[in-house]
Amino acid sequence: MATPLRRKTVHNLGTVVRFEIVRTLKKRSFWIAALAVPVIVAAIGAIIFFSNKTTDTESQNLAKEQYSLGVTDSSHLVAPGLLKAVEAKPFATKAEGIEAAKSGKIDAYFYYPANISKQKVEVYGKEVGLFKDSRYQELANQLLVQSAAAQTDPSLRAILQNNVQFDATTYTDGQVDKGFLKLIAPGIFLVLFYFMIATFGNQILTSVTEEKENRVIEMILATIKPTTLLVGKLLSLIVLAFIQMLVILIPIISGYFIFKSQLSLPSLDLSSLPLDPVAIGLGAAIFIVSYLMYTGILMTLGAAMPTAKEAGGFFGAVMALTFGPLYAAPLFISAPHSLIVQILSYFPLTAPIPLLLRNAVGNLELIPALISLALLVLTTLVTIRIGVRIFRFGALEYSRKLSMKEVLRRKA
Amino acid sequence: MTFDKTTVIKDLSFTVRKGETFGFLGSNGSGKTTTIRALLGIYQPSDGTLLIDGKPYEVDGPVRLGYLPEERGLYKKETVVDTMTYFGRLKGMGRREAKQWSLDYLQRVELGDKADERLDKLSGGQQQKVQLGIAVMSNPDLLILDEPTKGLDPVNRRLLMDIVEEHQQKGATVIFVTHQMEEVERLCDRIMLLKDGQRRLYGTIDEVKEEFGGKVLEIVSNSPVPANDKLYTIKRKEGKVVTLEPHGDLLAIQRSLTTAGVACDRFELKRPSLDDIFVSIYGHAAKEENRA
Repeated sequence: MATPLRRKTVHNLGTVVRFEIVRTLKKRSFWIAALAVPVIVAAIGAIIFFSNKTTDTESQNLAKEQYSLGVTDSSHLVAPGLLKAVEAKPFATKAEGIEAAKSGKIDAYFYYPANISKQKVEVYGKEVGLFKDSRYQELANQLLVQSAAAQTDPSLRAILQNNVQFDATTYTDGQVDKGFLKLIAPGIFLVLFYFMIATFGNQILTSVTEEKENRVIEMILATIKPTTLLVGKLLSLIVLAFIQMLVILIPIISGYFIFKSQLSLPSLDLSSLPLDPVAIGLGAAIFIVSYLMYTGILMTLGAAMPTAKEAGGFFGAVMALTFGPLYAAPLFISAPHSLIVQILSYFPLTAPIPLLLRNAVGNLELIPALISLALLVLTTLVTIRIGVRIFRFGALEYSRKLSMKEVLRRKA
Repeated sequence: MTFDKTTVIKDLSFTVRKGETFGFLGSNGSGKTTTIRALLGIYQPSDGTLLIDGKPYEVDGPVRLGYLPEERGLYKKETVVDTMTYFGRLKGMGRREAKQWSLDYLQRVELGDKADERLDKLSGGQQQKVQLGIAVMSNPDLLILDEPTKGLDPVNRRLLMDIVEEHQQKGATVIFVTHQMEEVERLCDRIMLLKDGQRRLYGTIDEVKEEFGGKVLEIVSNSPVPANDKLYTIKRKEGKVVTLEPHGDLLAIQRSLTTAGVACDRFELKRPSLDDIFVSIYGHAAKEENRA
């Protein structure tokens, strides 16, 4: 049976969470930030789609265009049948061919030297615009490729045309390994963490400084405990982060299914997606604790600084620590036991990305992972505790930064 | 109450009786706001506590408290009604009840048409009325108002004081932190005057005037009053009105003024006003600063 005091605290917590969520959802800036990602993805997709379509159409039109051609084939590699098919007029010497092209008697002239591995094929043509000029070189090359293909057997032709396809199978413990697919489920937490901190970090910071900047904090603290306010904000930020993720994911997923065929997107067979419960569980735990830790750090920063603007410099440093390890990403995959990877994986402020990435690629052993996780939990608890303390003392410091010395010296 | 190594409030103890209106006076920087913040737990005091009915006060305890801080501020980008409803919810009201109360209050203070406006679209005085509304929501048992009328025009000052008086009549205990001595004399049952973080005067207005001691001599004259340290000290000059602190016989003072050619339209011995007491304790500079 909950005591009245406990009920009141829970009621106040719920009120703070609801208020924070609703007022953030009403802000235009939230929706602009949240919708920016799918809109940009959709815009890029549309540009690629229309660009490809236009290029295809243009290429087809280009191929259909007829123009007069002259050829001197000193290499004897171009099939005569092909030259006949394109109605190419043979020239005995290069000089004659060039002159014919230059004077406009023919539209283009190709000169194939005796040794094309050492000498360049020379192409001369009438200028028809930057885009269309490429048609001469394209045809000159096609004549060679087609001629080579016609002279070889199908296997060699495939090699020549770079059309060889591979089908590789690897095994883990006697079972067919799922390869890249097994990275997807645990890798989702890395993507989630990246997006949430990258797009939401600033909002976490401003949510704390806002009340100081508005001078409303004194009325709030006369009504509820600082811990209730901070925890309420923390919970609302988690809910908002998930709403933001849904806002990003729903249009992307919908877009995938709607434009799958138009954009020739690969099929995703989710039923064959490997699900490793340990990796997924570990990824989820690292993600949740890391998110809480960074939220706590940013809230502490907001509590210590008089304005969001002044907190900006420190915010940059936190972001550098968070995302800096991405520069060492190849090491996390190729040398997981190197000293730098170990340091980055155990130091709580840099650990989230190395841990999530290593967990995704499968080189994060359970015991070291649990040690890192424990360090993250400890840092989170200490950070939130310090955050509440700083918030308590810094809440009414409207115009100056609070020094750590001051916070630690004051009575709790 | 200590900040870093500086003690700003020293051994301060006072009682506010249930249902009374208590004036908490002092010049700028005397420690009034710090005392209130420490009492409410916004600042953690080095020592001491606020007891209500003998029990330590807790922010989420059973006592309904309304607080209008000196530092004005609201969620500027939220609407008036949403902000008021939020605070109403934090004070234990239901959502509908809080919203309806807010709308009724806004009508009462002539802000009915501003309910759905963002707070940053309101003037300073209008925001102050909203803040008072938040302070008096849920019929507080204890209402602490820090400079409630600062920056308000006379019409809105009257409106605001009417609202406060209504809550007094409903039984609320009111603590006024103010520099407005006229309001204190009119509204307060008892007062406390703070100087440099210490209690200077404390009691009913009559007791304080008695404790401050003696009476003052008020003279109305067109002629300048000469200094005479032996018989009196000139405490204040406001136009024709000169307030003297007498040291000697009234007859001797009168004789001295007549000799100096000062013709008095009025020569009256009276009790000092709170204003006189304030000026005496803090000096003219503080009084002028507070008026500004």
